[in-house]
Amino acid sequence: MRNGPYVVTFLTGALIVSFFFIPHHRAQEAQSVILDWSNVVYAFALILGSVTLWAGHQRKVATRAPGWAYSVVTLASLAFVTIWGVAQGVEEGTAVNAFYNSVNSPLASTMFALLAFFIASAAFRAFRARNTEATLLLVTAIVMMIGRVSVGEFIWPGFPKLTEWLLDVPNLAAKRAVAMGVGLGAVSTALRIILGIDRTYLGRS
Amino acid sequence: MNPQLDTRLFEPARLNLLIGLALFVLFLVVNIARARGGAAMFIRPMAGLKAVEEAIGRATEMGRPVLYVPGLGDMSEGGTLASITILSRVARRTAEMGCDLEVPGYDPVATTMMEGAARQAYVEAGRGDSFRAGSVHYVSAQQFAYVAAVTGYMLRERPAANIFMGSFYAESLFLAETGNLTGAIQIAGTDQVTQLPFFVCACDYALLGEELYAASAYLGREPIQLATIAAQDWAKGLAAGIVIVASILTALGHPEVGRLLQTR
Repeated sequence: MRNGPYVVTFLTGALIVSFFFIPHHRAQEAQSVILDWSNVVYAFALILGSVTLWAGHQRKVATRAPGWAYSVVTLASLAFVTIWGVAQGVEEGTAVNAFYNSVNSPLASTMFALLAFFIASAAFRAFRARNTEATLLLVTAIVMMIGRVSVGEFIWPGFPKLTEWLLDVPNLAAKRAVAMGVGLGAVSTALRIILGIDRTYLGRS
Repeated sequence: MNPQLDTRLFEPARLNLLIGLALFVLFLVVNIARARGGAAMFIRPMAGLKAVEEAIGRATEMGRPVLYVPGLGDMSEGGTLASITILSRVARRTAEMGCDLEVPGYDPVATTMMEGAARQAYVEAGRGDSFRAGSVHYVSAQQFAYVAAVTGYMLRERPAANIFMGSFYAESLFLAETGNLTGAIQIAGTDQVTQLPFFVCACDYALLGEELYAASAYLGREPIQLATIAAQDWAKGLAAGIVIVASILTALGHPEVGRLLQTR
């Protein structure tokens, strides 16, 4: 019984890997069914997560912890979207859809827009000529920034070509090398879990 | 061929992948046998992982929490699985040092797994009673809502150490820069190639790509786990060799080896 989770993990993992190599329509249908099961598990986990979220914020409101007013907004939003979403649906024209389009989307866009300022502050801190590597990074960043704007071509016609070369040759080579390592690392991690070598994901060492 | 009527039991175009997978498993078996035989497994030092201990120690001395951000991936992503195993190690250290741990979750399934892993780590450290219910909690499955919650926590609670391990996307710089504003020591690791430059620039230590997957084995130092890293390195060496040979042969007008590496 104690080894039950490892057996399930091994069988499921081995099945999914084998389905990748088996194009038989029955195998592909079975794979779809298994993936549908994972959606069902996700839905139940979402309920559990929402209950935990509710409990945490309710505690903050009850104890009047600092920032409890924001917890009231969170609880009200959670209740509204859940109740109205179940009652009316979430399609175009519903209250939840209107709430999403008029509140959630603009807020997400605002947060995304802040990234420009964070990039500027990170660049200001990182691009310093402290040592050889940092100087190389600084020079490359300057070339890239000038080459990417329209005026760069007027300063020197070679800037756009140099920028493209930097992106297409050294940058792409490094990206592909890292991607190869990531791919092998992912396979290694997956095999460790499927074969039961690594059990920490189940809370066991 | 209509996929619904496909009755083939094997896809020939993926034979090269099957051979690669079989070789990887062979390397795994050989290195596990070496580890069980007592062979020493050398793993090069990784500054970012050595710094995890220091970061937790710093947080303990300052009486401030450790913030562990597991990324925005779900359980189907390797980065999330690696993050859960690293969290287990980090939780064990925070339990041993008596430091507070905060883990905001993005994916509800992954959050449930992380809570179990963290709780068990506390129990194994003999500090099961110290595990704070709610320390691992679900926040939101919306990218920027999650980021807003985590950065808000950083600015309010001022954790002494921020550990970002997992799959990150556009929010990586957001998290790293906000953490930098609070003066926390920051250690990051991600398998998302496009986000690595942001973490390298904004964090004190960064684990690049595959180092994230090696981190759990590195922190645990168990011989069998280290053997899997050795197998990974053997596979990487073989892949690099094949790519070099294929590139040279293709340049000389013999692309056959390169074609063998193509997949569908």
